[in-house]
Amino acid sequence: MEFTRRDLLTWGSGITAGLVLTPVPWKLLDDTSIWTQNWPWIPQPARGPVEVKNSFCALCPNGCGMRVRMAAGWPVGISGMQHHPVNRGALCPLGFGAHQLNWHPRRLRQVGHQGRACSWSDALAAFRKACAEGPVAIIDGYPDRAASAICHGFARRHGSYRVALRAEQRALLPYEKWSGVPAAALGYDLENTGTILSFGAPLLDGWSAPGRFARLWSVRGAGSADSQLRLIQVEAAPSHTAACAWRWVPIMPGSDAALAAGIALVLHEEHRTAPNAPVPSTTLADAAARTGLSVDAIRDLARLLCEHGPALAISAQPNPAVAALNVALGAIGTRGGIVRRGRRTEPLAAADTLPSHLRAVLVDASVPADFLASTEAEIFRFAAWEGSAGRNDWLLPAPGFLEELTDIPTAPLSSIETYAVAPPLSKPPAEVKSAAQFLMAVDSSIPDVEKIIHARCRQLFQSRAGHLQGEELAAAAPPESAQAFEKQLWSGAVWVGDPPHFGGIPCRLTAWPQSAAPVARAGWTAAWPAPVLPPLATKLYQESSLREPPERRAI
Amino acid sequence: MSRILMTFGSGFLAALAAGWLAFPQIAYRQRQQPLAFHHQTHAAKSGVSECKDCHAFREDGEFTGIPKIETCAACHSDRIGTSQAEATLVNDYIKKGYETPWLVYSRQPANVWFSHAIHVRRAGLQCSDCHGTIGASDQLRPYEVNRISGYSRDIEGRSSARLGRSPAGMKMSDCEDCHHKRGIEVGCLGCHQ
Amino acid sequence: MNTRYGMVIDVDRCTGCGACMIACAAENNVPPAAERATPRTGITPMLVHTVSNGMEGSLKREAFLPVACMQCENETPCVKVCPQQAVEVDASTGIVMQMPQRCLGCRYCMTACPYHARYFNWWDPAWPAGMEKSLNPGVAVRMRGVVEKCNLCHARLHAAQEKAAAAGKREIDPRDYVPACVEACPTGAITFGSLADENCAAARAARSPEAFRLLARLGTEPKVYYRSARAWVRALAEPRNETRRKEVQRG
Repeated sequence: MEFTRRDLLTWGSGITAGLVLTPVPWKLLDDTSIWTQNWPWIPQPARGPVEVKNSFCALCPNGCGMRVRMAAGWPVGISGMQHHPVNRGALCPLGFGAHQLNWHPRRLRQVGHQGRACSWSDALAAFRKACAEGPVAIIDGYPDRAASAICHGFARRHGSYRVALRAEQRALLPYEKWSGVPAAALGYDLENTGTILSFGAPLLDGWSAPGRFARLWSVRGAGSADSQLRLIQVEAAPSHTAACAWRWVPIMPGSDAALAAGIALVLHEEHRTAPNAPVPSTTLADAAARTGLSVDAIRDLARLLCEHGPALAISAQPNPAVAALNVALGAIGTRGGIVRRGRRTEPLAAADTLPSHLRAVLVDASVPADFLASTEAEIFRFAAWEGSAGRNDWLLPAPGFLEELTDIPTAPLSSIETYAVAPPLSKPPAEVKSAAQFLMAVDSSIPDVEKIIHARCRQLFQSRAGHLQGEELAAAAPPESAQAFEKQLWSGAVWVGDPPHFGGIPCRLTAWPQSAAPVARAGWTAAWPAPVLPPLATKLYQESSLREPPERRAI
Repeated sequence: MSRILMTFGSGFLAALAAGWLAFPQIAYRQRQQPLAFHHQTHAAKSGVSECKDCHAFREDGEFTGIPKIETCAACHSDRIGTSQAEATLVNDYIKKGYETPWLVYSRQPANVWFSHAIHVRRAGLQCSDCHGTIGASDQLRPYEVNRISGYSRDIEGRSSARLGRSPAGMKMSDCEDCHHKRGIEVGCLGCHQ
Repeated sequence: MNTRYGMVIDVDRCTGCGACMIACAAENNVPPAAERATPRTGITPMLVHTVSNGMEGSLKREAFLPVACMQCENETPCVKVCPQQAVEVDASTGIVMQMPQRCLGCRYCMTACPYHARYFNWWDPAWPAGMEKSLNPGVAVRMRGVVEKCNLCHARLHAAQEKAAAAGKREIDPRDYVPACVEACPTGAITFGSLADENCAAARAARSPEAFRLLARLGTEPKVYYRSARAWVRALAEPRNETRRKEVQRG
């Protein structure tokens, strides 16, 4: 009997009928659908214990406190630390995506010399040679850390120490010039200010510790007509801060100094100016012409400043005219004005002018990416990501976000002293080294960061000044020993100094200062010092039209 | 006619045999666990008598699942027995600080959220209700992984037709059956994430 | 007690910083933009719009409106149109639950949503090498071809439920369930809570005379309210087109 085609078909239909009565087709369908939902190239989050730890952001000198959610040993989420007196639980928008920075495609992982790949020993040899041949300069972007003490100590023996100041810190330089109190010891007592006259300062959009002002403004009646804190934004174009301000005063671009002079004139005319304050030599009509405002409008502004005091004028960049207005308002050393915190007497030496005849310059990773060292010397640039401006002879991969132990000194512009310890929460790649570690390898007599932090904690405890602030501390008694004190700091508590002392800033200003050159508007990313933005920043400027894309930051 | 019947019948029976007998054999790939772990030994000898002595809850309610190497190292930091498995554990994992790559029978896809705290603490389920009496076993059964979907046979149930004791496995319909029996309705995101 | 989770967003406090957008993306494992992504094709479950009073020059005033899923309660449009039942309203929490794994990608829901609050995964999510270590384990990663939207940070609700169960409680502690956008906002512009609980801050703020909802006339009963003391902001809630208004009046 042969097996015909009909037999084949019959047999085939038997197979089909049989298969339908088995689990096979249904199971294959089910398994295949599960297979299509589990493509291997879709990344899966790691499974592991989830815990929340405290640390502090050291990307900029504000040192905002953060609660970091960790899963399987890596940071997976950031939120603000409520008990930090500087940021009070708020963070800058980019901070929420900062935990992804360490894997940015432009992460530096290789020592480079003029474009060629090199090793750490090459860099060390070159730096040792440079130190032997002539003076070097160490440039720090985040002064007063333990790592800064290392840089400073090294520089004392081998050259000079300089600080790359940010625009907001520079804005306090006029007061340093007139009173002798270092700008680094001055802050704004915003917590007690009644009216702020902001000359283009993006207070709600990336100024100082962004969270500090945002929280303050919100708590003190933001946005309402009878707000306790009145923000008057003087700015040519409507910015985010201008949109939210109690009042927006549009002026001609570059006429900030003229407006400051005009207001000071009105205050002088109405005998409301502080004693011994200088008088501008211009006229009110002149100020009106330059600013595009009417004379009445300028008088009105002056009235507003006096009506709901204390008043304080803030400019984003150094502007002597605005500083002189503060002298006229009597805001120097008074409640709600410019206050002194700490006992520092030495000013910070700015990195704008470096000594001539330098053999080498070492730039720490904390220095903002747009910093340009005006020098012919060999530059050793530490950075965690590519994109630092200027000619960098040596590019040295530094630890990134939350990858190294550091302490958090007092934030610039704050009205109180603070101190905290930021333990690392992310394992750094093997190839990175910080500038402090590098300098220790060159000069082995320098103590390491951890030892310096121990010493500082002990010193703080023994000074009996200030108090500790932390969520678990609310119920507990103050620590009895230096070890207990330090343990609290390591687990996220913040040491807060005594409240600001008013007075003590003698201001000797006899003549109204010359007007400064018009200042460029500080963009929203000006506060962000790293060369790259967190990857999720695309939400703000590529996947929405909320922001302008940054000019020089790469993504 | 009988020829048609016989041809049809032979195909039919061949398909039934292939589907019910052969298919379950080839649908799964056998994999061995990295170590031959004896639950029963641990329960009887070492005073580790309940599931929760090693498979515990953390403070925030998260379930630790398969214990990490630290739990084993608490007793086995050096050899305390004579078995080959323990030698491998101590030398290859504990001393080197590596996690043992256990193959987890109940591993669900990433979009499933199952809270042990809610089912054990709130609903009062016993471990054996879903996992069987694994605590009394003296060897780990081989890990059978579905060649197509990549998940363990324990998720689908031993029977391809999903017959047998309830729950037959740990698929969504098994969860739904139990929820339905107890009258606890949960929305999609109650179990998914 | 059943909850009806909703939010009240204080427009007068929103500075348009975008922290909510980034925190949302970080919490929900939203990938950074594909190279070709644009505002139309990107994924922003929380999206802040810039709106203005329509004037120019020194009379121009701007405000910022954060928009996420409005958690519509009545005749929820996306639920009504989905052929896959990939989205449904949870009776016990009031949350409109989107299941990307069930979605087949027809995008009918995107057409139906009056608030454009739904986003399609045009591309497979891609993170630079190693960045997957920063993914949140509480949220599944989607693949291309499915729609996603704000689920009110359901992973955080899960964590709160688990914590309550471990402590032997039936109800979660409201302080344990705070969505990422609410937590991130530096000015505290977003108030979150159960609108069914009359005493909670969100319910009280929603009853304020200055509170309004976007496109309320559509009748979807969104559970996300806005609040502003400025009349021109409140007027944004409905379109200003004269013709449209007449159509509505005619029925």
